[in-house]
Amino acid sequence: MSGYAGKILRVNLTKKEITAIPTKKYEHWVGGHGMGSAIFFDLVKDKTIDGFNPANVVTLMTSPLSGTLVPAASGRTEVQGIGVQSYPIGWFTRSNFGGRFSSMLKYAGWDGVVIEGKASRPVWIDIRNDDVKIRECASLSLWGKDTWECQEIIWDYVAGEGKYGDWIKQNNSEARTTQRPAVVAIGPAGENLSRVACLIHDASSAAGQGGFGAVWGSKNLKAISVIGTGGIKIHDPQGLMAARLWQKKNYAFDLENLIERWGFQHQAPPAPIALWRGGRPKIGQRPQACLGCHSACRARYDDALGNEASCFASVFYWDAKSLDIQRTASDLINKYGLNAVEMCFGLLYIYLLNQNGVLKSSNIPKCPLDFSNYGSEEFVERFVKMVSYGDDGNGNKSQFGKDISGGFVWAAEKWGRREQDLNNGMLSFPYWGLPIHKEPRAQVYWGYATLLGDRDINEHDFDWLKHDAKIAARWGRKTMATAEEAVKIVTDKMVPYQGDMLMMDFSEKNIYSEHMAKLVSWHRYYTRFWKQSMLFCDVRWPDFLNLYAPGKIGSTGIAEPKFLKAVTGKDFSFLDGINLGRKIWNLDHAIWTLQGRHRDMVHFADIIYKRKASWDVDGKAYMPGIENGKWDYHYYARRTLDRNKFDEFKTRFYQLQGWDEASGWPKKKTLDSLGLSYVASELEANGRLGKG
Amino acid sequence: MKDQKNRHTGKEKADFSRRDFLKLSKNIAVGAGVAGILPSMIWLEDGVAAIPVSEGYLLVDTKKCQGCMSCMLACSLVHEGEENLSLARIQVVQNSFERFPVDLTISQCRQCTEPACMEACPTGALHIDTKHGNIRTINEEECIGCMECVKACPFMPGRAIYNDKKEKALKCDLCADTPYWDEPGGPGGKQACVEVCPVGAIKFTKDVPKQKGDEGYVVNLRGRSWRRLGYPRR
Ligand code: SF4
Ligand code: SF4
Ligand code: SF4
Repeated sequence: MSGYAGKILRVNLTKKEITAIPTKKYEHWVGGHGMGSAIFFDLVKDKTIDGFNPANVVTLMTSPLSGTLVPAASGRTEVQGIGVQSYPIGWFTRSNFGGRFSSMLKYAGWDGVVIEGKASRPVWIDIRNDDVKIRECASLSLWGKDTWECQEIIWDYVAGEGKYGDWIKQNNSEARTTQRPAVVAIGPAGENLSRVACLIHDASSAAGQGGFGAVWGSKNLKAISVIGTGGIKIHDPQGLMAARLWQKKNYAFDLENLIERWGFQHQAPPAPIALWRGGRPKIGQRPQACLGCHSACRARYDDALGNEASCFASVFYWDAKSLDIQRTASDLINKYGLNAVEMCFGLLYIYLLNQNGVLKSSNIPKCPLDFSNYGSEEFVERFVKMVSYGDDGNGNKSQFGKDISGGFVWAAEKWGRREQDLNNGMLSFPYWGLPIHKEPRAQVYWGYATLLGDRDINEHDFDWLKHDAKIAARWGRKTMATAEEAVKIVTDKMVPYQGDMLMMDFSEKNIYSEHMAKLVSWHRYYTRFWKQSMLFCDVRWPDFLNLYAPGKIGSTGIAEPKFLKAVTGKDFSFLDGINLGRKIWNLDHAIWTLQGRHRDMVHFADIIYKRKASWDVDGKAYMPGIENGKWDYHYYARRTLDRNKFDEFKTRFYQLQGWDEASGWPKKKTLDSLGLSYVASELEANGRLGKG
Repeated sequence: MKDQKNRHTGKEKADFSRRDFLKLSKNIAVGAGVAGILPSMIWLEDGVAAIPVSEGYLLVDTKKCQGCMSCMLACSLVHEGEENLSLARIQVVQNSFERFPVDLTISQCRQCTEPACMEACPTGALHIDTKHGNIRTINEEECIGCMECVKACPFMPGRAIYNDKKEKALKCDLCADTPYWDEPGGPGGKQACVEVCPVGAIKFTKDVPKQKGDEGYVVNLRGRSWRRLGYPRR
């Protein structure tokens, strides 16, 4: 099995049992998310349990590409299990983080880790090649430590007599490495079961969504550390080297011939996606990449402040009085182990409640925050501690602190304000109680997919289109391509729907159409397989429109299967991946159905149907669309979605999936055709199989 | 000797330093294994030989490096046919929480003019490959896995490394012998790490770097485009 370590680590914290699952058993899912969902389905008998239930299973999966030279596909780890963040149900969900954990896990000989049960006392898992131990936190005083301290303590412990900077022997043998173990840890927020808690690896690689920090906390699991000195067998090493150099020559940025494009693109040069208001500090710094990546999206600085922070981790405290305070705030959420997006919109909510004089109203417990120092370091530190510890931020009891620590939407619910504040715009959590990310009234596919799934999709596959058009409009420069040209390049790659350009028409008349249903479907399938199972990074893939490539046609469609083949030897086409993505998407949907999903629940907060966007989440959303028979980029945010038409869209979407239109539940014949008859049986046994 | 020009640079070859004159008596003592080392020596007088300098060196810019370790993955891939950080002949070590630039080091083999690793090798497996520009390299068949070279390399981390599964030592050969890469390597060819590095933080040179200290092996490769990306050049 080239590309695989061959076994998946299974740790039962209740029984203190360490066993292995042969990867072969799940190899038909190829890797990552597909394997994780399948394992979850097999091991969790009652899918209606709450995320905090010890029977919840959390998987951390790698892909055959993890730890290899495949560009921007080597370092990511897929995390799955029942989450505790979404509302009203903590859906079975996923998150994902970069860095080097997945690679190290494979060098240690494991394709994934499956966590079951709950330890009686706080523990961490120490993986050194084949040697796996469940260790008590007490001896290293790990419980209570922030995520960075925790990692450093574990590094030192694992080094033993060895010293970083030199070779360190492992497992009492001559096996050796210069590397620090890859550790993923929870902070105080996870320990205290805050629904806002996440997992942190290295300085700022985070599995943010789902509240997995709290799920680990509920299992008394502080950290997993892994060091590996082994190798991954490659089917065609020559082919892999050649493919990497082919990618570099034809599709990666070229420093000698730099085309300045930023952010989420395959071709973008290494630059941190740091969104601090003052920009990047003008001090010494380097780009910093995940293992094997061709173009870094993080940086380290000569004062180490804000190291590796990017995207929301950098923007979270947007009203900080100075750049240094903003960078300190980034560090704070990483250390305490908090989900940056939730914190960002949670802070906005509390801020708006205060601005509008509501904070002092009777239903809300007394808020310990002093808004006269809003923007200061003290303010943000106190806020972070309140959410982490569920107290007043100074170690004293506070009902308000306790409430927001349990999640901002859940707090609003307690205060009797959820509906009202969702609809007056103060609580920007319009789908499944999750924070808004992209404007769902403009980038409709993002909102639809989030609602039809389990979480803010956070998949930037088409996002560059909007950014490019937005920047062009703002600075009066040319877009990378005309709307028509861009849409053609993108849709030509979208097998099996290739050539249907209307998939990318975001004009009012088209956003509820079967074309849009196809776009959302394709996107679900592509990401479920190529991104979340093969773990191609969301920042650097896909490669649609590429200014370095001939005809601006990027490598997506050719590159992904080429790399997979070199590593594993599998003849697995791009379309095979899309089809397997469909199967995985169906399996996930079956799990949500078992959890209680019904089409009637699938709706945005009313505000999306009633009010035009009054501000843009991340700048003006210009999208391609046909107006008066002509393609162009248009500013579509100033519209509402139509509730009834969205319902009709769902019908079209369910038809396309082969699901029951009335309930949205999967049909037996669809599941059978996908090789998921066992899933159909479980749905049937639970009275949740779709009709027809 | 001294009037010989380096065939690639046209510059005068570096002088042999005192320690280049190896007293071979201790090597000869180990017997037949010394055969491998002999052809690469230049005999000066009885029992004393000079070692020709390598015709190629890797220089690195640790301030430009993005820490992706693609160089390590490529090195292990082309030599061993597998992905294994422990088998990479160039080592990048970093600490997420540290300040730039001490958060990261790149440790490449220096192809020393006075290779302590070679001096220590009791079998002659670690030898000078005159066919490939005098690189200091290991003949795997002759390596007995004693790790003398691993211990002898004076740098931290040691640049002669060890494959515990095969029980053989490995070291950088400037990609002269890459069973899993078609490109001709060595000083006259291409090096996998240099070719793969996405930011151009590794440079190949034919000029002998200053041997004392690290500065001869560290170079500033940050050009104008680097500054355009918002990174200081100094
Ligand atoms: S490939 Fe280049 S950027 Fe990446 S770690 Fe090696 S030297 Fe640094
Ligand atoms: S292994 Fe060490 S001693 Fe030998 S040539 Fe390389 S740097 Fe010099
Ligand atoms: S030159 Fe070749 S052998 Fe030496 S470190 Fe680079 S890839 Fe490895």
